[in-house]
Amino acid sequence: GRLKALDAFLLYVLLTGALQFGYCLGVGTFPFNSFLSGFISAVGSFILGVCLRIQINPQNKGEFQGISPERAFADFLFANTILHLVVINFVG
Amino acid sequence: SVLLLLAGAQALVPSHRLAARDLARLRAVLERPFSDVRAAYYSIVGLSSLGVRVADEKAACKFIKSHVDSSSVESLFYAAQSIQVLSGCEVTISNETRELLLAAVSEDSSVTQIFHAVGALSGFGLPLASQEALSALTARLSKEESVLATIQALETASYLSQQADLSSIVEEIEDLVARLDDLGGVYLQFEEGIETTALFVAAAYKLSDHVGTEPAIKEDQVIQLMNAIFSKKNFETLSEAFSVARAAGSLSQNRFHLPVIVVPDGPAAVSHQQPVLRLQVTNVMSQLLTQVSVKLDQAKSVSSKATVLQQLPFVLSGDFFELNFMNVKPASGYYDFSISVDGDKRFIANKVELKVKVSTEVGITNVDLSTVDKDQSIAPKTTRVAYPAKAKGSFTADSHQNFALSFQLIDVNSGAELIPHQTFVRLHNQKTGQEVVFVAEPDSKNVYKFELDTSERKTEFDSASGTYTLYLIIGDATLQNPILWNVADVVITFPEEDAPSTVQSKNLFVPKPEIQHLFREPEKRPPTVVSNTFTALVLSPLLLLLILWIKIGANISNFSFAPSTIVFHMGHAAMLGLMYVYWTQLNMFQTLKYLAILGGITFLAGNRMLAQKAVKR
Repeated sequence: GRLKALDAFLLYVLLTGALQFGYCLGVGTFPFNSFLSGFISAVGSFILGVCLRIQINPQNKGEFQGISPERAFADFLFANTILHLVVINFVG
Repeated sequence: SVLLLLAGAQALVPSHRLAARDLARLRAVLERPFSDVRAAYYSIVGLSSLGVRVADEKAACKFIKSHVDSSSVESLFYAAQSIQVLSGCEVTISNETRELLLAAVSEDSSVTQIFHAVGALSGFGLPLASQEALSALTARLSKEESVLATIQALETASYLSQQADLSSIVEEIEDLVARLDDLGGVYLQFEEGIETTALFVAAAYKLSDHVGTEPAIKEDQVIQLMNAIFSKKNFETLSEAFSVARAAGSLSQNRFHLPVIVVPDGPAAVSHQQPVLRLQVTNVMSQLLTQVSVKLDQAKSVSSKATVLQQLPFVLSGDFFELNFMNVKPASGYYDFSISVDGDKRFIANKVELKVKVSTEVGITNVDLSTVDKDQSIAPKTTRVAYPAKAKGSFTADSHQNFALSFQLIDVNSGAELIPHQTFVRLHNQKTGQEVVFVAEPDSKNVYKFELDTSERKTEFDSASGTYTLYLIIGDATLQNPILWNVADVVITFPEEDAPSTVQSKNLFVPKPEIQHLFREPEKRPPTVVSNTFTALVLSPLLLLLILWIKIGANISNFSFAPSTIVFHMGHAAMLGLMYVYWTQLNMFQTLKYLAILGGITFLAGNRMLAQKAVKR
């Protein structure tokens, strides 16, 4: 259940990133910093989401002995905060 | 004569001396009323170096006697030296004073004190133990290495008996010369300044004269020292004036080196009207030297390098040495004169090079103006004109005919052909004020020719037809009579189609067309419709996400209303809101501040919430 919800989130992020990239290809890179900011936000969020998914997957429990799902989620939130701080700084 | 040439090429020529004006300025400074004994010393001894006596010697003597401080060695020195120069000035020295001075001559005193004491004892005519003074001086000098101390030691030694072995002090002259700074090969001076340099020259020659040994200063170095010292034309302090006066006195009267200066009378130029070259020979103080012989070693033409005159003496006439150069009928131009001054073995800088100009008058002959038919079917019409008359009638130059001018230039006095530097033909449009200048060139037979072809020259004239006045301009540095001659009028006609509708005078000083600044083009952006559509499009996956989450059945039902949960969610929402506010308003510092607070709260609450969740699990 939880994994499926996460997967849905990952799909959302993927689509958002792809749409941004397609727009940039079509219309042009101005303003470039905004494009980069949005795109990096999508890519970064996707990566963090994948990390979270790996960590809370019960099948991988053996490899993450010291990290509880709650801890993984907290890490996910923290990393996202830092990512989006930088993204907002850069979007202009 | 080859050796002479080499010597002339290597020797330095003095570039500065004390001219009459400089001497007057120097005297004015030295003749100011005395303020104290030191000022009196500078004035009296300085003026005597220039060969001038103080105006009122009795008053000066009285001044010194009343102002001297008998307890100061320095004051006694100034008094003693001044009294020596003044005639009829006597002073009695008490025993105390004598003891004071003798006591100052010891190893424990500074070089300056020894110098003043020895100078005072010598000036007052008091006995002095030269050997002891010398040993005190030598001992002290090894401890004090400053340039001024060494110079004072030189002068001190000049007061000591010749029987003492002064050679160690005399050697200091060479050491001091090594410490001089060479500026561009022209000046030689101490980094301490011109005053110190001048004092050195005075002291070195005083000591050398005293011991009878030529000072270890080379001829070129003496000239460089001269250049440095006499380059100073303004004397700010009395001590500066004093030092320059003493140096001038030394260099005009010593046993070894006497620089001479050769000064032409006015510009060094001769002509038919003024055939005689006149020179004056002086010493550094601009005092005339007439007991000398002045000889022209050789005179060479600068342009042809031919020697025109050799080994001819100048004749003394009054204050000047004269030589009639026009006797050899030289061609006009410049000549290098190598002149040597003899008469005293001590002379230095006595071989000089002088550039002499020979001027003449130019005459224009065989001036022919002609119109030449381009097809050469008609014979050219030639008119002869004589300077300074103007040709009668006018000449034409158009598409069928060229205008031509030819003439010759000769030296009126010798009849030789001349090639001056400036031979211009100037055409002046009477109506528009345009002028065009051409250069007339001589051919192989030295006949000047100028031809005007309208088709070749239309760009210079801007194709402006009309009547032009023709002038001939002849000039050169060696011509006494430059020529500007209105020769004739020329009617020039250019082909019609090239003529400009209005002739604009080429005025350089009108405002130029304004340049519009091109601002940076903004980047091409897509129309607002497109970007708005995209914004909506990009938000659509969010809708999809919500739908998917509902379908999957994300359990919101598990939401517990524990305080930590609420706080966590509020804090997280606030953090997201902070991101938006950061985007619109804040800077990084403010954001970090708020983030720290919100993040802290959210973390604590979240920690509790997740812990509770974990427990439930």
